[in-house]
Amino acid sequence: MDILQLIQANLLTPIILFFLFGIIAAKIKSDLKIPESISEFLPIYLLAAIGLHGGIEMRNTGFENMLIPMLVAIGLSLLFTLNHYQILRRLGKFNLFDSYALASTYGAVGAVHFSVGLSFLKNQGVTSEGYIAAILAVLEPLAFILAIFMTNMAVSKQIKVKKQSFAGDNSVDVDVGLNQTKTNLSKVLRESITGKAIVILLGSIVIGYIIGEEGFESIKIVFDDMFTGAIVIFMIEMGIIAGQRLDDIKKVGVFLTGFAIIMPVFNGIIGVLVSTALGLSLGGAVMFGLLMASASFIAAPAVLRHAIPQAKPSLYITSALGITFPFNIIVTLPILFTISTLVHTGEGTIDLFHYITEGFL
Amino acid sequence: MKLYDVKLLTITCEILAQENIIEILKKNEITGYTTYEVDGNGARGIRGQGFKNEKNVKVEVIMHEEKLQDVVEEISRTLFANFAIVLYVGDIGVLRPEKF
Repeated sequence: MDILQLIQANLLTPIILFFLFGIIAAKIKSDLKIPESISEFLPIYLLAAIGLHGGIEMRNTGFENMLIPMLVAIGLSLLFTLNHYQILRRLGKFNLFDSYALASTYGAVGAVHFSVGLSFLKNQGVTSEGYIAAILAVLEPLAFILAIFMTNMAVSKQIKVKKQSFAGDNSVDVDVGLNQTKTNLSKVLRESITGKAIVILLGSIVIGYIIGEEGFESIKIVFDDMFTGAIVIFMIEMGIIAGQRLDDIKKVGVFLTGFAIIMPVFNGIIGVLVSTALGLSLGGAVMFGLLMASASFIAAPAVLRHAIPQAKPSLYITSALGITFPFNIIVTLPILFTISTLVHTGEGTIDLFHYITEGFL
Repeated sequence: MKLYDVKLLTITCEILAQENIIEILKKNEITGYTTYEVDGNGARGIRGQGFKNEKNVKVEVIMHEEKLQDVVEEISRTLFANFAIVLYVGDIGVLRPEKF
């Protein structure tokens, strides 16, 4: 009941309404579109705001206790990616390349998800641990690196098997395959670490940490007060792009549609429970869960198109942007919030119960 | 005015293949090229809408015939299968053949 009410309330927030509006605008073939330079600027702005916010929070609360949540997040992200692969490959019968591309798209994190989550929490008057922004930065390239590594391993193994069936000495060719793997991986690693998303995010975290609350005061109007408004503008663009792809969703198929809805909720709930067990706050657990639930649709194509060019981008972009993203911000986010509230205040009920039983004794 | 015969290789492809093409050119010691963003329609549907990563580019390269074979072969072998790409070659005349 509570969840439904929250979903309903969430549905009527400007972020969601403008997203839906964007979809409609695309559907009626309006020529409405956000100017290109603005839609390129907004992700940078959002990441800068996330980073500053995270850096200031880290200064306030310290970051000694961020190591364990970060390691757990890394572990979960890798585990989820492998799990996705098994599900897609075995149950979904996707080919190797599509399976790994999709697995990493859903194992990776989305900065847009993160922005919407922060604004959602702000709306609910809940804060979250600042170091989650640092976790976002670390998780960003992780799932892709794993998927690319696994794909290359699988491909060179296939080549090896094929060559062996022809017999003859072939160690040279296999070595070439392995070298290819290494160059591919180091290239992806270097490109993601120096890529604009991570650079602006890490840079802003450091600057936020240095300037603290007082220094932030002078730029607060841009990076705090305007944050939700900027997301709203970005949501129009996201809605338009999602709307243009609406017809492609039919091509995605029933299995992937189900996967794109069930998997994020499952991952997100695990994220909330695990992070609560690690001692994260109510809001922190929601953000942690959202990181686990989110799918990447801005970074994914840029990385995967090069690293796994055989995979069909129409599958992973459409499912991540057209299905998972709207579902996550409309339904998953309130679910995660409700569960997090439940497990955080749940301790209170246990105490109460304990108190009552004590009273009886 | 004397014009010398060289080849113009034009490649229209998705923007994410641009890097691969320039790498191939570099491998064949071709450093000069021109690119511009374009949009259009083709086998993979209308391209150029949405994300920047989904735009198309046109790459124009002038080269001597000797290099053309290798470049075209490598592009078609490595990129045709997985990328939205169209490639064609034309005869053109230039004034200063030593530039290419």
